[in-house]
Amino acid sequence: MTMPDRIDIAWIVLIGLALATILLPQLMPRPLLGNALLLAFAALKGRRIVLDFLDLRVAPALWRGLVSAWILIVLLLAWLASAVVALI
Amino acid sequence: MSTAECEQQGTGWGILEDLPGDPMIWVLIFSELVAFGLFLGAFSVARAIHPAMFAAGQAMLDLDLAGLNTVVLVTSGWAAARATKAARAGERQVARYWLLGAMALGGLFIAIKLAEYAEEIGRGVGLETSSFFTLYFLLTGFHLLHVGLGIVILAVVCRRAETSGVETGTAFWHMVDLVWIVMFPILYLVK
Repeated sequence: MTMPDRIDIAWIVLIGLALATILLPQLMPRPLLGNALLLAFAALKGRRIVLDFLDLRVAPALWRGLVSAWILIVLLLAWLASAVVALI
Repeated sequence: MSTAECEQQGTGWGILEDLPGDPMIWVLIFSELVAFGLFLGAFSVARAIHPAMFAAGQAMLDLDLAGLNTVVLVTSGWAAARATKAARAGERQVARYWLLGAMALGGLFIAIKLAEYAEEIGRGVGLETSSFFTLYFLLTGFHLLHVGLGIVILAVVCRRAETSGVETGTAFWHMVDLVWIVMFPILYLVK
């Protein structure tokens, strides 16, 4: 039996984070913190896909940075919009 | 620099040549990321403007089916990544099997998403029900089209299963996977 490699470990992490994402809203009633955690999980999942599935780990930092920045900007905007609603 | 000098140094794609697969797919990937980013940004801003309407719309979505689809698409991405690794090792037949697995899971994603649409339409919601559902159907429908296109691209590269072709097809597939991973909590879970 072969040992799991980086791709297998990334898949296991992604499945674990996906399940945690589905269960989290039931455990975290406060939206501000709950939303931050949900979106942080999404950022972690996105990072795994970028580094281990897309294999940008070995690509120039510019490309890794651009795709990572896309993930962060979209998720941060979602959190800020939800925070505005929660705080008003 | 003359065209001849460019050709001597590479294929003329500059820094895009450092990315896996055909540089042209990366032009498409970056264009798609910008389009989805703008769409998702518009969704977040609209939620801040109409929080009650968006909360009511979100409560009508099927979280279980969407969660299942996340697991399906992530597993499909894993199969695609394994196909790339096999193709790079020169194991073309192994790469084909992994690509077929990725395509089958992509087909399952489409089937589950269509079942989810049928359930929602059965509850009486549609494109014009509210701004939430207009954006929801446009975003998820646009993504679903990309899943379909991704399956076609994987089928094309599966035939020869050469390293460059497999890298090109799976790069697009991982973009589709990445967009869903970001879209899922924003549409279904963020309160």
